[in-house]
Amino acid sequence: MSLIKTKVIEKKKKAPRRRRKIDIRNIKIGKVITNLFLASLIIGICFAILYPILALLPMVFTDLRELGAPNSIWIPSVFGVNSFEFVFRSVLGGEPVILLQMLAYALSICAIQVFMSAMEGYALARTNFWGKNLVFFLVIFVFLVPRQSILITQYLHFKHFDVLGLISLIRGSDIDLINQPITLYLLAIFGFSVNQSLFIFIFRQAFLGMPKEIEEASLIDGAGFYRTYFRIMLPNVMPTILTVAVLSFVWAYGDTYYTNYFNTDGPYFAVIIDKTFKDANNWYITNQARAWFDTADTNELAFEALKQASIITFLTPLVLIYFIVQKKLVENLDRAGIVG
Amino acid sequence: MKGAGGRKKLKYSTSRKLNGLIFMLPWLIGFVMFFAVPVKDTVLYSFNKVDVGDSGGIVLTFNGIQNYIDLFRSEVSTESQPLQRVLATENANIITNLPLIVIFSLFLAILANAKFPGRGIVRVIFFLPIVLGLSLIEEWAANSTGRSLIEAATGGMFGTQAVAGILLEYTFLPKSVIQFLSSVLDNIFQLFTKTGVQTLIFLAGLQSIDPALYEVAKMEGANSYDTFWKVTLPLLSNVLLFAVVYTLIDLFLNSSIAEEVYNFAFAKSKIGVGSALSVVYMANVLVVLGIVLLFLKAVNVIDKD
Repeated sequence: MSLIKTKVIEKKKKAPRRRRKIDIRNIKIGKVITNLFLASLIIGICFAILYPILALLPMVFTDLRELGAPNSIWIPSVFGVNSFEFVFRSVLGGEPVILLQMLAYALSICAIQVFMSAMEGYALARTNFWGKNLVFFLVIFVFLVPRQSILITQYLHFKHFDVLGLISLIRGSDIDLINQPITLYLLAIFGFSVNQSLFIFIFRQAFLGMPKEIEEASLIDGAGFYRTYFRIMLPNVMPTILTVAVLSFVWAYGDTYYTNYFNTDGPYFAVIIDKTFKDANNWYITNQARAWFDTADTNELAFEALKQASIITFLTPLVLIYFIVQKKLVENLDRAGIVG
Repeated sequence: MKGAGGRKKLKYSTSRKLNGLIFMLPWLIGFVMFFAVPVKDTVLYSFNKVDVGDSGGIVLTFNGIQNYIDLFRSEVSTESQPLQRVLATENANIITNLPLIVIFSLFLAILANAKFPGRGIVRVIFFLPIVLGLSLIEEWAANSTGRSLIEAATGGMFGTQAVAGILLEYTFLPKSVIQFLSSVLDNIFQLFTKTGVQTLIFLAGLQSIDPALYEVAKMEGANSYDTFWKVTLPLLSNVLLFAVVYTLIDLFLNSSIAEEVYNFAFAKSKIGVGSALSVVYMANVLVVLGIVLLFLKAVNVIDKD
């Protein structure tokens, strides 16, 4: 809301200056009209992007007992935060620690993804190992094949996990990796978590765009392969690291695919929301709200309000992080090397 | 002396190759474990009747293309529609949404790249779809009662119905065009949630264009329309290709075909038929991608692969 307001104020400030110009020389009317058109377009688009969030703020901040009151559309008739209270007690199980666990999971996946894909991107960009072109083609190919199409066999593969028969040889049977957190980490370490081939591609482009001289100078000065990579090359693609880290974090935090299929009982916020607010749970949720908050005639809207409150809670850390890094993200764009 | 130096150099390049391979090794292992073997198994299962054996293992009985025949003849989707229909509607949706999303995100990037006061805030908002595009939020935005409540309250004054009505009344557009326009308007929020990454990529592309080129174009007397078609677009062709591929894959990932795969395998426990659908799905994506790339090549947007 405040964002839009500031924009409007800025536009107001701008307008009188323009008008004075017209008074002096009557030639720039066309330009003013284009500018006004562009300004309204930009404001309109910003509004359209923000609208879905703005639209549910009044509902979420209305006291559960007053939901559906006909005279409150944009301003809640009775302000209340008990829908958030419900989220904390029910969805988060009364322990905010879970939220930290979820963030920690997303952070560690993000760190693994950045570390591994940077290495692989570097190998693809700057070394000439045997079969490099084929491997690069395979990286692209993996990105093109929809992950759901191999869901069944991947699932069965993890259900009876084995590496070349070695594990059965030692343990006498294969391991069941379904519903174990380690499955998700295994996927990330070996490059097959959410959109990881995309990250490898981005890193490859970034390393390709770096001048060869830096690397050669470091090698001539006597630094080895690994030293050159960790000390010289990696710090120089910092903008790309930031871009990939943001995307990776957001996707790991919001992932409902891998988390839901491979570790469905784990502490993942997106999965929990997905499960709690199934339509089948409608009756249960509204009754719980009735018991806790004495909402005598809770209607259908309570379910919706609680769901939206939990989604807002889910979004808050993301949006906060996004606001902290966005300036760097945009500043660094031209150096991030996404461009082929 | 020279010979020794040469040998040393050779040795160096070999060790570099080796190191590169070591860096790539985790991915290669992962490729075999988490991709190649599952893809092979999916194709294998699709030609077999899959049962769970007594010991918990999987028992395969070869039955040719029976799974594919079942898939299209007797099986139905979760909404009890024949699967041909599901595939057809999804493909049609994706093909219409693809240009909309790509052009729209290019447009957003151009706007975000222009110089105007308050640009920082506008950019923040333009990239918000990266966060809002998560599947969880998309689903919720698609069917939120809160919004319909507000729309009902404002009496649908600015709704698509009203717009379509005005267009029908006062313009001579054919009905099918208006229908298409209003369906786009209806989905505009979903359209927005898909643009985040593409806008980011386009903006990066725009910023990498040398400003000198624009100055030359200006000196030569080109207006902004010419500049866009002759300077900006050709220089963005690589980025455009990337954005098109990304959008297409993203749309397919979120299509309802994906849900059907899950439905067959886990809800109906027909692993063979589910695998057959997976193979069809995979082939579908690659074929559509090939067609789109050929089209882009034909209209000279991209020079080569």
